Amino acid sequence: MAKVVGGNTGSKVRKKLALFFLIGWILLIIGDRVDELRVYQGAQIAMYTIALASIVLLTGYSGQVSLGNGAMMAVGGYAAALTLNNLQTPIWSAFMMAILVAALFGAFLGLAAARLSGPYLAGTTLALAVGLPAIANQFSFLGGEPGLLFDVGFPPERFGEDFTQYKWFFWIATFIALIALFVTSNILQSRFGRTWRAIRGNSLAAELSGINASQLKVLAFSVSSGLAGLAGAVLAMTISLVAPGAYTLALSFALVTGAVLAGISSLPGVVLGGFILVAIPEIADALASSLGSEDKLNSYLPGLIVSVLLILSVIYTPNGPGENLRKHFHKKSAH
Amino acid sequence: MQKALETLLIGLSTGSIYALMSLALVLVWRSTRVINFAQAGQAMFSTYIGFEIATRSQIFWLGLLFAIVAGALLGAGVDYFFMRVLFKHANSGPALVVAPVIATLGLLGLIRSIVGLTWGGEFKSLTAPASKNGFTFGEVTIPFSPLDSLTIITVAVILIILALLFQRTNLGLALRASAYSPEIAQLAGIRTARTRTIGWAIAGGVGGVAGMLVTSYNFLTPYSLDLLLVFGFIAAVIGGLESMVGAVIGALVLGIGLTIILNYVGTSLVFIGGFSVLLLVLLIKPDGIMARGKVRRG
Repeated sequence: MAKVVGGNTGSKVRKKLALFFLIGWILLIIGDRVDELRVYQGAQIAMYTIALASIVLLTGYSGQVSLGNGAMMAVGGYAAALTLNNLQTPIWSAFMMAILVAALFGAFLGLAAARLSGPYLAGTTLALAVGLPAIANQFSFLGGEPGLLFDVGFPPERFGEDFTQYKWFFWIATFIALIALFVTSNILQSRFGRTWRAIRGNSLAAELSGINASQLKVLAFSVSSGLAGLAGAVLAMTISLVAPGAYTLALSFALVTGAVLAGISSLPGVVLGGFILVAIPEIADALASSLGSEDKLNSYLPGLIVSVLLILSVIYTPNGPGENLRKHFHKKSAH
Repeated sequence: MQKALETLLIGLSTGSIYALMSLALVLVWRSTRVINFAQAGQAMFSTYIGFEIATRSQIFWLGLLFAIVAGALLGAGVDYFFMRVLFKHANSGPALVVAPVIATLGLLGLIRSIVGLTWGGEFKSLTAPASKNGFTFGEVTIPFSPLDSLTIITVAVILIILALLFQRTNLGLALRASAYSPEIAQLAGIRTARTRTIGWAIAGGVGGVAGMLVTSYNFLTPYSLDLLLVFGFIAAVIGGLESMVGAVIGALVLGIGLTIILNYVGTSLVFIGGFSVLLLVLLIKPDGIMARGKVRRG
């Protein structure tokens, strides 16, 4: 089922690093060639990419279902905003804080729930996704319904006057996403990644070979929460604020959908997932306006598309489109 | 003393609604090994049907009846047209464990969007079958209302019907047997697939009642039953997910506990309280209050 991946040799990591540099460079060039809206959507894709990576790590690799990634993103977003607003520290420290706080939060939650089998974790995280926005509403230091401002500031002047705010967001988001994916991909190919897959495959067998399954599951949950927290901070940056309304249950659902659509255990797939998640509202808008743009259509059509895609993909390509293709070709070569 | 009694009574009425949702979740979990997150959506759809009937006919109980029927039909339909297909396709690879959970999530989203597209997102208000103003004794008015007592009675009737069904009928025996061990039940001549669909139908009907009862207190929107799902789940976890009696006791305990927080601490901590209960149960007694031996399946 899973191909055996060798360790991280130095040359492999260097090659991967070069690849990521190349991708980053290409993205920056593209960012100069397209209009404002596309640049903004690029930043959103980068944000979704990080969030989806957190799901791939958790669900695809360690076999746990979390429905509360939106809530973890909220934790990261609020942590980043509180850091930036109260400590006046540089931007990068706000993002680091988002990772740290969300990872700690995840570790705490994981200790309670991740030791247990699927439904408990799924239900607990769902409860969190439903309740967390309401909690944020009720504490004044979290800014209530309107939320907190999150302002990373204007782009540095040396980039010139044409360098817009959105492009600055795009640069930061892309930079962070590339680093996050690079690190995640290395974690997944390391001993941890292999151990997680072993636990997912057969947790009893894994324990018999000396793996502390529950500890490693909590670790997976914590790392995944950290990534989600980072994505939450990036989301806060692109909309310049953290508010309960940005981290809804619908966001958690959309993330699960994106991850399943793109192949739940494929890290490169997250980029495709990000594209899909950004494209869905656009498609829904176009559809809604062609159907006579009622309020109902505008608010529920995106959800309809997301759910139909999720259901179809979980039934027909549960392990991602990649696996179906592989199976297809495998059958052909066998005959 | 008086306040304590009021809290207890209102807690019972709140908890009895949670009990229905938690029962619906447990019924499906026992037979299918899936926490059916779509239960909130199914209940919401049934409630919208019940709402339409109740508003047009001006009879709450007719609406309730229709909500039960709609919920049962939808529940059976979900199992027959959806879960069976799902289990036929998603049977290998990394997604095996996660596919059913994610599928019910997708279903929740689907039902929500369909309801939203049909009825819109406006707050709908259902005429309650009894007064929401508290009982008055001479000069004193207590918060416990006729509606609260009616809620408790309705739930009690449903629970008695379910208990009779499960303990006294062949169908109930088949349901219990298939939940306990599908293979052995099948060998004993029970058509387990059909029994499971019936289980889903019962769960759907029970969920419909929960939705109608909640809606006689609060507004109905495509999102208004999410919290009921969460509290139903917490109650089910307290009861250990396996036991129907446990689910009811868990729900009553949760209802009373949350009402204590509401009355003595404040609104802002109700959800945090519920969530803390969930974490505490998972940490201290993960198999629930009804657990006897150290047996965990699935």
